Amino acid sequence: MVIERLYEALKKSVEEYKPEKAKKITKELLEAQVDPLKVLDEVLNPTMEEIGEKFDNMDIFLPDLMGAAEAMQAATSILTEQIKKSSTKPTESKGKVVLGTVLGDIHEIGKNIVKIMLETSGFEIFDLGKDVPSLKFIEKAEEVNADVIALSALMTTTMHSQREVIELLEALGKRDNYIVLVGGNPTSENWKKEIGADGWAETAVEATKLITKMISEKVR
Amino acid sequence: MGTPPWRINEVLDRAQNGPICLEKDFDSNLFVPELKRVIKEYDICFDKLTPVPSDDTLADSIWKAAMDFYLTVGTLCTDTYRRIVFTENEIKEALGNFPGRFTLGFGRDSREITGRQIEDKRRPFCLFSPDITCDEDLFVPMSMAYLQEPLADGVCAPILDEIEGMSIRSGSPSEIKGSVAHAMMFREAARRVGRPGIFLKSVGTAESDAAQIAASNPEWGERLTDGRFVASVTELKVDNSLLNKMVHFHTYGCFVGALTGPIFGGFAGGPEGTAIVGLAYHLQGLLVNQAHFLNYFPFHLKHTCNTMRELLWVISITYQALSRNSNLISLSNGFTAAGPCTPMVLREAATHSLVSVVSGSNLWEIAVAKNRNKNFATPMEARIACEVGCGAAKERISRSDANEIALALLKTYEEDIENAPLGKSFRDCYNIRKIKPSVEYMDLFNRMKKELKDNGVPFVY
Repeated sequence: MVIERLYEALKKSVEEYKPEKAKKITKELLEAQVDPLKVLDEVLNPTMEEIGEKFDNMDIFLPDLMGAAEAMQAATSILTEQIKKSSTKPTESKGKVVLGTVLGDIHEIGKNIVKIMLETSGFEIFDLGKDVPSLKFIEKAEEVNADVIALSALMTTTMHSQREVIELLEALGKRDNYIVLVGGNPTSENWKKEIGADGWAETAVEATKLITKMISEKVR
Repeated sequence: MGTPPWRINEVLDRAQNGPICLEKDFDSNLFVPELKRVIKEYDICFDKLTPVPSDDTLADSIWKAAMDFYLTVGTLCTDTYRRIVFTENEIKEALGNFPGRFTLGFGRDSREITGRQIEDKRRPFCLFSPDITCDEDLFVPMSMAYLQEPLADGVCAPILDEIEGMSIRSGSPSEIKGSVAHAMMFREAARRVGRPGIFLKSVGTAESDAAQIAASNPEWGERLTDGRFVASVTELKVDNSLLNKMVHFHTYGCFVGALTGPIFGGFAGGPEGTAIVGLAYHLQGLLVNQAHFLNYFPFHLKHTCNTMRELLWVISITYQALSRNSNLISLSNGFTAAGPCTPMVLREAATHSLVSVVSGSNLWEIAVAKNRNKNFATPMEARIACEVGCGAAKERISRSDANEIALALLKTYEEDIENAPLGKSFRDCYNIRKIKPSVEYMDLFNRMKKELKDNGVPFVY
C-alpha cells in the first residue's frame, strides 16, 4: 500500500511539474528497496507517455510538457545513478540520436519538442541546435557512435539540406551506419521517399514511436 | 511624425549591450513564468462559445497584460545572448509617433493603408498572397493570377525553391540568384496585368539577409514603394541576420513589415497566452523590427492553421485590443486546413476574414492546405476572404453578429480540421494559359457564395 501510494505521488509530481517533489519521492522509493527499473517501467515511462499523448492532442501545451519532462528527469537521474551503482553492467540508453535543425534554418521549436519526448523516453540525445552544417551531423554521429540522425527543417528553402546530409553519407560510404529521419512542416512521407530517408514523422510522439520501432527492429 | 524607424541605433546598441540572457533561461525562466503571471494577474480567460468577444474590458485588460509582459521580457537576440528591453516611456513614444497611415505602391496603383477600428466601416486594405512555394514555370502565371484580382491592393508572390533547374538552398548562391529572379519576374507580372505600381511584398524566396539585400534595386528589383519583411524567431527572439535585414531595409528606404506568428500550443501555451504574445509581437514589431505594418498569423502547433475557434478568439481579441489602444497597422493572415477547390477552404477563408475585419484588422489572405503543399494555392481563396471582409466593413457587421455567424460556420468545418481535404493544386484548378479559374472551381465558388450569403455572411457584392 505504501509503495502504491508513493507510485501515485510520483506520477502526480510529474503531472504537476514538481521536480523537487519527484526527487523526494524517488528517494523514498529507493529507501523502501524498490527496484529502480520497476519505477521507470511502471510509473515514469507510462506517465510520460500519457503526457506525450495529451500534448499531441493539444490538451496540454509546450510549457506543460517541459515542466513534466523536468520533473521526470529529476526522478530519472536518481534512478539511473542507483542502477549504475547496483549493476555490474553499464546502463544502456534505448539508443543514441544526433538531432538538429538543418543548415540555413533557425527554427527550433519542433526539434526541441522531439528532443524532450526522446529524452524522457530513454534515448541519449546529442542536440546540435539550429543552422547546422550538413557534415556536422555526420561528424557527431561518428564521434558518439549514434544509431539515428534526425534532421528538422521548417522552410521549403532549407529542406534540401536534409537531402544533402543523405548524399554526404552516401558519398562517404556511411549511409548504412545510421537510421536517418526527417521532419518539419514542409516535409512529408513523399519527401522522405524522394530523398531516400529511412523515416518521417509528423509529430514528436510519432517520431518517438518510429525511432523506438526502427531501433528495435534495426530497420533501415 | 517620426516613427518608424524608432531609434535604430538604440536597438542595435541594446542587442550588443543589453542584459545577458541565455536562450534556455529566456524561454523557461522568463518567458513562460511571466506569461503565466500576467494571464492570472489580468484575469484573461478564453470562452469557447465566443470566438468574437464583445467585451471591451477584456480587450483593454489583455493590452495591459501584453504591455506588462513585454516590458518585463523584451526581445532576445540569440546571437549576442542579450535582451533588448524598453521602458514604458519609450514604448509610449514609439506608439505616440506612429502615423497610423501610409501610401503603399506608386502612382495610379498606390493605395492607402491605415490602422482600423473595431466594427470600422472603412474598407480593409486587402493583400492577396499564395504564401507557398510553386514550380518555377508557375511563378509568373500564379503571380499574374493574384495581381489581376480586382480587390487586391497589394500582392505577395509565391516562393521559388528552384531556379533554372537548381534547387534553391538558403545561404547559397542559388538563393541569391533565385531571389533576384523572383523580384524581376514579379515586377514583370505586375506590368503584364496593367498594374505596374501596385504594392508588392517580396522577396519570400530570400530567407537569408544576403539574398534580401541582393534583390533591392529600384530599376529591376525591389523598389522603395514596395514592402519587405523582418521575421522573428519563436518566441520574441531575433538574431543578427534579422537585424541586418531591418537595417538594410530602412537605409534602403522601402516599407518594412514585421512577420509575426505566435504558436498556439508552443511556448505561448493556450489562447490567452497566444493573444498576449501576439500583442507583444506588435510592440516588438514597432520597436525592434521598426515596422510600418505587421503580418499577424497566430497558428496551431499541430494543425498549422488558424480557423479553429481558439485561434479565431486569439485573432479577434488581439485586434480589438490593438484597435482600442493604438493606431498600429496590422494585416490578419489566414491559414486554412483545407486546400483549393473544396467547400471547406471557402468556409474557413470566409470565417477568418469576417472575424478579423470586425475586430479591427486589415487582410492578408491566405495560406491554405496547412501551408505545406507546393502549388496548393489559388487567388479564389483570397478572393472569397476579401469579398467577405469588405462586405463585413460595408455592412458594418457588429461583433456579436459576427460571433453568431462564426459559430454557425465553425459547425460546418471544425471537426474536419484534423483530416481536412487537400483539394487541388493551382495547375489542376486553374487554366494556366488563360490565367482563369477552372469551370469546376468557378461553379463551386458561386455555389458556396450563395450558401454563405443565405447563412448571413456579408459580401461586398
